[in-house]
Amino acid sequence: MLEVKGLVAGYAGSEVLHGIDLEVNEGEGVIVLGPNGHGKSTLLRAVTGLLSPRAGQVLLDGKDITRWRPDAIAAAGLVHIPQGDLLFPEMTVTENLLMGAYHGPTWSERSARLGRVYELFPWLKERGGQLARTLSGGERRMLALGRGLMSKAKLLLIDEPSLGLAPLTTQQIYASIHKVKESGLSLLIADENANHVAGLADRVYLLETGSLVRQGPADELLRDKALLESYLG
Amino acid sequence: MSTQFVQAVWGGILFGSVYGLMALGLTLVWGAVRLLNLAHGAIFVVGSYVAFFVVSKLNLPILVALPIGVLAAAAFAYLMHLIFIRPVIGKPGFDNSTLIATVGISIAVSAAAILIFNPEYKVIPPIISGNFTLSDVQITKQGLLVIGTSLALFALVYLFLTYTRRGMAIRAVSQQQEAASLMAIPVVRTYGMVIAISGALAGLAGVLLSPFFFLNPNSGFNPMIQALIVTIFGGLGSVRGALVAGFVLGIFESFVEVYYGVAWAQPGVFLLIILMLIVRPNGLFGIGEVRRL
Amino acid sequence: MSAQAAGAVGVSRPQLDQAAAPWRRPSIWAIGGGLAAGIVLPLLLVRIDIGTYLITLLILFFVQAVVAQSWNLIMGYGGIYSFAQVALFAVGGWTSGVLVHSLGWNPFLAILISPLVAVVAALGIGLPTLRLRGVYVVLLTLAFHELARVFAVTGPRFISGGGYGLVTVQTFQFGDAIGDQRTIYLYYLAGLIFAIATFVIWRVIHSPLGVAMTALRDSETYAVSRGINQFRVRLVLFAISAFFTGLAGGYSTHYNGGISTTIFDFPRIIDLLAMIVIGGWGTFGGPILGAGIVIGLNQYLVALGDYQTLILGLALAGIAVFAPQGLWPLIRRLYENYLAPEPLAPAVEVSPAAPRDTTEEL
Ligand SMILES: Nc1ncnc2c1ncn2[C@@H]1O[C@H](COP(=O)(O)OP(=O)(O)O)[C@@H](O)[C@H]1O
Ligand SMILES: [Mg+2]
Repeated sequence: MLEVKGLVAGYAGSEVLHGIDLEVNEGEGVIVLGPNGHGKSTLLRAVTGLLSPRAGQVLLDGKDITRWRPDAIAAAGLVHIPQGDLLFPEMTVTENLLMGAYHGPTWSERSARLGRVYELFPWLKERGGQLARTLSGGERRMLALGRGLMSKAKLLLIDEPSLGLAPLTTQQIYASIHKVKESGLSLLIADENANHVAGLADRVYLLETGSLVRQGPADELLRDKALLESYLG
Repeated sequence: MSTQFVQAVWGGILFGSVYGLMALGLTLVWGAVRLLNLAHGAIFVVGSYVAFFVVSKLNLPILVALPIGVLAAAAFAYLMHLIFIRPVIGKPGFDNSTLIATVGISIAVSAAAILIFNPEYKVIPPIISGNFTLSDVQITKQGLLVIGTSLALFALVYLFLTYTRRGMAIRAVSQQQEAASLMAIPVVRTYGMVIAISGALAGLAGVLLSPFFFLNPNSGFNPMIQALIVTIFGGLGSVRGALVAGFVLGIFESFVEVYYGVAWAQPGVFLLIILMLIVRPNGLFGIGEVRRL
Repeated sequence: MSAQAAGAVGVSRPQLDQAAAPWRRPSIWAIGGGLAAGIVLPLLLVRIDIGTYLITLLILFFVQAVVAQSWNLIMGYGGIYSFAQVALFAVGGWTSGVLVHSLGWNPFLAILISPLVAVVAALGIGLPTLRLRGVYVVLLTLAFHELARVFAVTGPRFISGGGYGLVTVQTFQFGDAIGDQRTIYLYYLAGLIFAIATFVIWRVIHSPLGVAMTALRDSETYAVSRGINQFRVRLVLFAISAFFTGLAGGYSTHYNGGISTTIFDFPRIIDLLAMIVIGGWGTFGGPILGAGIVIGLNQYLVALGDYQTLILGLALAGIAVFAPQGLWPLIRRLYENYLAPEPLAPAVEVSPAAPRDTTEEL
């Protein structure tokens, strides 16, 4: 479904990604593992148009979306839940969720979608009127996730779902992502901890200083503790 | 109640709603686009002249001229966005470029107005004429209309921003532009929409106010400065702030004018705003960087 | 403006410390040649038909270039969006005008007071505003301009002259020189002011203060983290800028024999802004080049009346958006490619398209 070919991207003065090849198939859970600062966020940003790639291609269902604007890419079904949540701080929980369903065809189904998100995170319903900036870290993450789920995503890209969270909250978050996976949505998750993603992953890529150095089925790679240790430390 | 007092209150409420109306458009654009639109006064002038043209050259009633003037102002603002704002959105140097560009547009508009019409003062008829007296103070019906329209527009804009899909998208873009684009909200088109709405508000203000102040190629300048003051006083980007600050400053100015003379009104307002910025640097309702629309 | 923009520009900052090094000493020959040409020029010009007219144009150029450079110093380099420049010019103009007209001072003495009063006025505006965000500076300086205008028009009679300004102020007298001879002296005086202002502004830009202000403009957080006091830097710049603007104002009054309240008309501000924008915002030579271009063009465009303003306004907007660096960088590049004897070090001039913080804004 998603195909990335020879993607090169970076910031003024530095190239971060040096030719990334990656794919995600229908219904698959793909994990990009890599230590902090090796380019995971840069990869997701280049895929969803927040950063324009210097070379390479991004294909969605065979269509070249490389130079599309982020909103067009999102409308096409690649929904990115960014690092740091990036909620709308002065909007309420419900309003944040509704913005996830902004895209025209989705908007008309917003009530049904709200219902599904409330099933996953019931507290969102009770706290619907609260401003997003007043939420705790874990709540924010859930809201960010819920907002992404309000869309009609074909593929959800999640950047470090556990960043900055306490262990217990981390568990909850991954449990909900699990449910999302079971509902059949394809996932591309960037993470730096192999333990978290064990149950979610079908395939794993290892990212090191901007290059994908290994890939393979999750059962194989994630079981190879020695390998993981050498990459992730 | 003394005549003076009634005069001051009436003038204050009238000024307040006028300033609020202008400030509303300015604050919307600042809040969403981070654009200090120094062409806001020019857009006011565009709307007024178009309405003047429709009334005096096409001999149509002012009620027809009003929507045409408003639409023309909105279209002009949108055109300005397309040509001069959109190309620099997201680029470094956005502030410099747009500041100068909007100043340039302002003077181009006033020059164009002189060329097309002439520098003479023009009169646009009021929508409703007539007046009555209250404690010896003349209350014009047009004045009441301006106050009513201004309040209604604030309510309308508030409802739009709070309850509609596109209105909420404007707030989303203004608070977290990147996330908004990840939610499939077209950021640049939203900017264009905000600028057009703001233009419509300026045009409406122009058509409604010209019966009081007359119309000339530079008549947008003073209302714009007042609106800037109101916007800053209320907190840049805050709609509620624009409403409250409009009335606070309007009434303050009106009282100074009635009790101390017209010459003190403007300096008094500036003094007030400087004091206010020292006490609350982000305005009445601004909470600094985070809070936008 | 957006995180995107800042991101795209990256973390690498221009190496500001280089700017402090004296790597750009213009050659003695260039300066000496320029001065000599400036001194000889009027003597040659008076010999041709339109020579006197050209000399008065050059005088106009000197005065305007001083104001444009001063404005560019704070707006282009300092990132202070002040619209008080014309008002400060007026303060200078009125100061010496009143000293001469009402108190009978000698014009040559009086114009020495103009810059001082302009500096005091600048501190009066700067102290409350320069701590504030840029957008407030825009408003409060516009407000100052407006207040100054109202005061000049409606103030006490020895200032307002009944609404027209000062109309019969004594002009500069050089012994009993008259006609072309006097024009040449006026030219030298204006040229001297121009030369001093240009030199000082050049020094300021290449001094530690200049480095500090460039750093502040391009990255406030970075500069503040290096212990640069933003407010103080801005205030000093503002004062320097006001000093020369006030001086130019004083000269102008005794050159024209008065100062009119039309000085406050908006097109005056636009002319100055156009000089900076066309020449090159935030570059050393930009405003000088721009002053030359705008004054030259105006001689042709003046016949067009209001079309001139229309064209200027649109040109201003167009250049600001589509060529924000103005013409100066272009000229520099031509010079470096074809004429420079040896490669120059990178320019200290950082265009408006220079990296900016997301925190720094209008
Ligand atoms: N906005 C930016 N500007 C410049 N460099 C950046 C920016 N964001 C990230 N980088 C650099 O790009 C590299 C990869 O960062 P990132 O993609 O955020 O890594 P990860 O998400 O794996 O932690 C890092 O070296 C980082 O310093
Ligand atoms: Mg990251």
